[in-house]
Amino acid sequence: MPLTARGHSVPDFAAAQELYHANGWTDGLPIVPPTEDAVAACLDWAMTPPDQLIGIEPVRAIPLTAEKLAINAVMAGCLPMHFPVVLTAVTAMLQPEFLLHGATSSTGGCAILIVLNGPIRRELAAPGTFNALGNADRATSVIGRAIRLVLINLLDVRPGGIDRSTIGHPGKFSYCVAEDEEDTTWDPLHVQRGLPPEVSAVTVMAAGSLRQIMNEWTTEPEEILETFAAEMRANMRHYSIWAGNYALVIPKQLREHLQAAGWSKSDIATFIHRRARIRRGEWAEVGKRAVVRGQADAEYAALESPDRLLVIAAGGPAGGFGAVIPPWLGNKSTAVTLPVGACIDCGPPSR
Amino acid sequence: MTFRVLDPTNEATPPLGTQAPRPASLEGAIVGIITNGKEGTLGFFAHLERMLRTEFGVADVIRRTKSNYSAPADAHIADELRRWQAVVTGIGD
Repeated sequence: MPLTARGHSVPDFAAAQELYHANGWTDGLPIVPPTEDAVAACLDWAMTPPDQLIGIEPVRAIPLTAEKLAINAVMAGCLPMHFPVVLTAVTAMLQPEFLLHGATSSTGGCAILIVLNGPIRRELAAPGTFNALGNADRATSVIGRAIRLVLINLLDVRPGGIDRSTIGHPGKFSYCVAEDEEDTTWDPLHVQRGLPPEVSAVTVMAAGSLRQIMNEWTTEPEEILETFAAEMRANMRHYSIWAGNYALVIPKQLREHLQAAGWSKSDIATFIHRRARIRRGEWAEVGKRAVVRGQADAEYAALESPDRLLVIAAGGPAGGFGAVIPPWLGNKSTAVTLPVGACIDCGPPSR
Repeated sequence: MTFRVLDPTNEATPPLGTQAPRPASLEGAIVGIITNGKEGTLGFFAHLERMLRTEFGVADVIRRTKSNYSAPADAHIADELRRWQAVVTGIGD
């Protein structure tokens, strides 16, 4: 099936860059020129015809076709093997509970966190080890960037346009991490969220900027996790008190202590659910006295239930550094996990 | 030697609704105000309502608050909107 996107003739690579920059079609970085051959190769790899409707943005009724997604993926630097992940991430973002329009238009300035699980991580050489959240490899860098270019070019999520972010954060360029499934005894995130282990999966979460923690001075699970809980409490005090999905990224050095003590991801979530709480009155200590409104003793939990916590094993082998990734705004948006491609053994999508 | 690159934007424009005729006057009109419910909207819309009533002679001002300030107006608000002659909406922080 032929491609139908409008074409532009350019004399050389530099002219292509200027065409895309001049039209506001990039994130400010250079792009890979999306030629017909490159776009067709992505579609062929995903066995997806160009006119296939991947979904419709629910608020403004904007259709997203495979061809247009592939053009943006090529621009971001994706190879054909990366494109099925991009398709899955976009499909997940279009689920109503993700509230894509709100998440991408909010002054709160979130970015879309993408977590890769399953065999596709190895195929894409995304190990989730050193510099796990810092665009450590080609796959996570270009997949995250493809999502941003899709938002810019297909949904007009440009700064000052639909994107009303006051501050935003650097994760907007690319916010993608692979879980280090090989170097942990824990179930991978997608298994925790109901998919079979042999399936490749993508989880999307409307996420604020990561908050890094450090604790290299204990082997006690409760003490390690208390540092994460404290960072979540800080987020509740300084940013938003409302409960939602939080992600914890736990590196090898810290998770080995937890694993040696027999703690599973579920145990961690139960502990964090209990400890990541503040009283509304704490707002008065951080300059928000005006909104305490006589409810100083009211207790707020960061998680409505333990299963709202996404625990991700990732990071380099040394260092007691981890990360708390807070939700964009409480439970306004819910993380979504979907299998990559068809999965005949999968149940309904995990929310 | 030239080469051909593809347009990354949405060329299929979704159907848009048509704009309702502008009222010549707000005198005697029912005017709705749809707010996202954020703190900063309270004083603003209260003042706007006073202006509509005292300076523009509207018959009534109906104020509705979305249940989720990051989502479109609820269906029941959209239904109600049909009975208004004008509506004011927007974002407020």
